[in-house]
Amino acid sequence: MLGIVEQGLILGLMSIGVFISFRIVNMADLTVDGTFALGGALCVRLFSLGLNAPVSLLLSLLAGAGAGILTGFLHRKLKINVLLAGILVMTMLYSINLRIMNGPNLPIPKTSVSASLGTFEQVAGKDPLADLFEPSAPAAAPQKEIAKHRTFENIFLGTADGQDLLLLSAIVLICVALTGLFLRTELGTALRGFGTNPSGLESFGLPKTLMTLLGLGLANAFVSLSGGIFALYSGFADVTMGQGMIVTGLAVVMLGEILFVRRKLVYGIFAPILGGIVYQGILAVVMRYGYRIGFRASDMKLLTALFIVAVIGFGLIQTKKRMKGKFRLSTIFGGGVGRD
Amino acid sequence: MIKLSDVSVVYRKGEENEKCALKNATLQISQGDFVIIVGPNGAGKSTLMKVLLCELAPTVGTYYLNGKSMRGFSVTQVARWVGRVFQDPNSGIFPDLSILENLSIASKKGVRWLRFRSCPQKAVSLLSLLGLGLEKNLNTRAGDLSGGQKQALAMIMAIISDPKVLLLDEHTASLDPKSSVKVMELTRQINEQFGITVVMITHNMPFAEQYGNRKWKIEEGEVYEYEYRPPVCLTRSENPFPLVGDQRRCAPKCV
Repeated sequence: MLGIVEQGLILGLMSIGVFISFRIVNMADLTVDGTFALGGALCVRLFSLGLNAPVSLLLSLLAGAGAGILTGFLHRKLKINVLLAGILVMTMLYSINLRIMNGPNLPIPKTSVSASLGTFEQVAGKDPLADLFEPSAPAAAPQKEIAKHRTFENIFLGTADGQDLLLLSAIVLICVALTGLFLRTELGTALRGFGTNPSGLESFGLPKTLMTLLGLGLANAFVSLSGGIFALYSGFADVTMGQGMIVTGLAVVMLGEILFVRRKLVYGIFAPILGGIVYQGILAVVMRYGYRIGFRASDMKLLTALFIVAVIGFGLIQTKKRMKGKFRLSTIFGGGVGRD
Repeated sequence: MIKLSDVSVVYRKGEENEKCALKNATLQISQGDFVIIVGPNGAGKSTLMKVLLCELAPTVGTYYLNGKSMRGFSVTQVARWVGRVFQDPNSGIFPDLSILENLSIASKKGVRWLRFRSCPQKAVSLLSLLGLGLEKNLNTRAGDLSGGQKQALAMIMAIISDPKVLLLDEHTASLDPKSSVKVMELTRQINEQFGITVVMITHNMPFAEQYGNRKWKIEEGEVYEYEYRPPVCLTRSENPFPLVGDQRRCAPKCV
């Protein structure tokens, strides 16, 4: 149960990014699949190199923001459709992630790096076969770098005693609070305005490009951060870990909005968090009992995509019904506040 | 205040289907003028508006605002001096935001920072001039207002930050007759009491006859003036009423 909530919180954090791009900035940003893996890859790589976890996460967050800004730049400055711009950056990130990890995946070292893990050359400072033909070549001094010990431990213990949950909850709450505060500022309000009327914002002296870069940067920063947290939590990063994340994120956002539609807490940012926990719960149930009716874990992506289709279809029907209702109200009562 | 010197706009220049939307327009608008522009569809009215908004650079000629050439200026830069309201009531407001948040965005021009938003008293006072009671429902979602209310809010938002010129492109076209009259009265108030220069495009001939001190007609890209009266409003320096000052003397009409 703890694991479900913990993973739900990570998923929720990622979905805040999707929420910002799809709901606040109103842009279908597909960079998410790439930035989630970027966050994971970079975080694990930096952690392996000896940086502590918070700094690794912070740098992953900044890298994610950079990827989002690149998408925004391609969209605004090179006039590439935002969907295509997202796909392009996502594709670039696939190669970049492979480079960062130097392979398709990278585990977090469980023990600190020590000299015993070094190769013979590193430890002895000479080639093991060097003496074979050339007698008594003096041994070079052992390399100093490998003597460095990484003293930082993973912030996630994986002990299932609630400590990870506490830490994750704190991270999520801080992120939600900071985002909520940001959206209350002049810049945050302008960003929300941009999502609802981009051209209108220009007439108040705010360039569309700036708001696009800000919105997509912020969204991908969240996704990358959650990718980094996921990698630290699960102990590895994989180049395919972001695959289908955009669809999952959308499903989580929609699920959250359906379940908590009446309580638009902190501009609706809480909905993805709660949606993430519920989604993870459903996933756990499906994986545990679904086999009885023929489900496989791999069917979850199909179910998620179908869920989004169903929610959009249902939403359309509801809107049509509401419009009919509005028409009736305005016919009976005439114009006024609250009616079109 | 506004001067167009021999301005021409040619679409698809050099191509087979080249079109000259504005031909050698030489115009001058003084402070406090209320200019009405009429003309058939495709005559070049919206092109002229785009030039004034810096959405479109003239192919030939120069556009001056306050004696300064606007060549190279962007829409966001010119927004400092120019307010605009278009035909679609949703285009001038932010429908998903509350009235308060709308006013907060409009009360400042240019880049915003991380200061907590506020709604200046000036904005609320202006809103109360409408007489629609919107100032009592500041947390109402702007998208839930009626078309006339949205357009009135858009106009208030356009003038909050004290622009020199207000550009209106068929801003009453999508409203019912009653709301149109109210919005036109608000337009007149803005021009006469606040001294803001108004340039308005309309297809509504009764409005074109009733309002404005300068009447222009555009036909096939050529602009000519067919009526002129001295402006009703006082110039801003002579205006005893600040933008939101003594509201008793402003005597707002119920809009």
